[in-house]
Amino acid sequence: MAKRNRVAIAGVGYSTIGRKTGLTIEDLVAQATQAALDDGGMTVGDIDGISTLGSEALADGWMLGIEPLNWFSTSGASPAFVHPALMSIAAVASGMCHTALALRIIRQQPSGAELAAGDTSGNPMTAGLAATSGDRQFLTPFGAGSATQWAGLLTQRHMAQYGTTEEQFGHHAITQRHHASLNEDAFFRDPLTMEDYLAARFVSKPLRILDCDYPCDSGSAVIFTTEERARDFAKPPVFVDACSLSAIRDLNFEILEDMAVTSPAHCARELWSRTDLRPADVDTAHLYDGFSVITFQWLEALGFCGPGEAGPFVEEGNTRLGGRLPVNTDGGACNVGRRHGANFCIEATRQLRGECGERQVEGAEVSVFSNAFGPFSGAVLLTKD
Amino acid sequence: MKEPTVTPPMPHPSPMTQFFWDGVAAGELRIQRCQRCRHYIHYPRPYCRFCRSGDLAGEQVSGRATLYSWTIAVQPFHPFFVDKIPYTLATVELVEQPGLMFLSHVVDCPEEDLRAGMLLNVTFEQLAPELTLPMFRPSVDRG
Repeated sequence: MAKRNRVAIAGVGYSTIGRKTGLTIEDLVAQATQAALDDGGMTVGDIDGISTLGSEALADGWMLGIEPLNWFSTSGASPAFVHPALMSIAAVASGMCHTALALRIIRQQPSGAELAAGDTSGNPMTAGLAATSGDRQFLTPFGAGSATQWAGLLTQRHMAQYGTTEEQFGHHAITQRHHASLNEDAFFRDPLTMEDYLAARFVSKPLRILDCDYPCDSGSAVIFTTEERARDFAKPPVFVDACSLSAIRDLNFEILEDMAVTSPAHCARELWSRTDLRPADVDTAHLYDGFSVITFQWLEALGFCGPGEAGPFVEEGNTRLGGRLPVNTDGGACNVGRRHGANFCIEATRQLRGECGERQVEGAEVSVFSNAFGPFSGAVLLTKD
Repeated sequence: MKEPTVTPPMPHPSPMTQFFWDGVAAGELRIQRCQRCRHYIHYPRPYCRFCRSGDLAGEQVSGRATLYSWTIAVQPFHPFFVDKIPYTLATVELVEQPGLMFLSHVVDCPEEDLRAGMLLNVTFEQLAPELTLPMFRPSVDRG
């Protein structure tokens, strides 16, 4: 076995991203890959491994003309982009391949209104939500099982257990929108007020529409390679310092025994045990915001604030650009759209390269990104050269 | 003209989960229990996650629970629930075993009276002629 390689990010990129773009999975794969190659000054000949969530690694490799593949991985149910990212990191670190393309490909899912009208699009998401066999027999007949509903349960528990307020979630949404106003790539860039937030409709009370990521079609690509190779490509390498993937149960959010402290707590403990860096060393954090409460759990899990203190921590302005710990400087998935975790990795990379323009955190040297929560999650600590 | 009826999403039990729905039909809440180490397991699984025994069976539980968390469902995700909203989805902890969580509804309780830890009792609610579900209502003994 080769000795463990130091792993770097050499290229990042997105496909065209939008609402019901008509783009196919193949379009999203091809566009995102080309964008990441262009970003790194690379060609497909530089890649010898693929990991993906949302497409199929062998099909992608063949279509893109990457042959032979030294390594490939197609993720199943997994915590968003961080899963294919961690697979690629592990493959490069171990020497199974030298340069791995990690993809997250998403076709926009049917809306609640479409589902309530008996959506017949054939989208696998629809079939999954309507299923009444297996564990779903204990959800669907009850009118349960939508992600927004378990997010409502976990949000309510955070409020009941810690006294977190609606306004504190509002401060989070307002802060993220401010960051999005500095990001040309965001869908939503107009300032948000507390009145706007409190007037937003509930999806599953206390969860509001502004607490949810924005569904869209998206393709995201990140290229991981060895330190030695990374130094030959166009962009300054961003290094993986430590990473962690964790699961605390099977994929059932609704019956979590502890809804306030979930897998991020375990994931973060492992992450910090694998590095000499400490929470105070982190300059920017990119914490999954599929629902607002997820970001809150990560703030607590990673030790940026105490257990149950995310609400006051956000309310005090710590997570805003210029604050103690700028969080989700791209505006988060609520504003840039559902890139399912990849945007947090890509924005962290761009912060560490110093490419973020108006929203650049001066002197950023250490960033963390995280994905998912509840049953499973993952996190990666990144550093500048 | 008779209104078109919307079919409820009917459960599809397997041999492993049939006991649960037989229990509902009999007006009992039954939860899978390991016959070796006596732990309860929900959702049902072919092996006990505490002792790996494959000897599991549904057993009636008391129907007493405490409220752990809740959410007011205001958006339907299935045609059957379009005229059922709003309803209170709840994760309740059955008293038989710490951490034995069950997802259902809380009924007969105004939203402002919902409290984490409140005592609940099972009740069987008919949502459609062919669909009855175990739900929970505040206990008369409010603790």
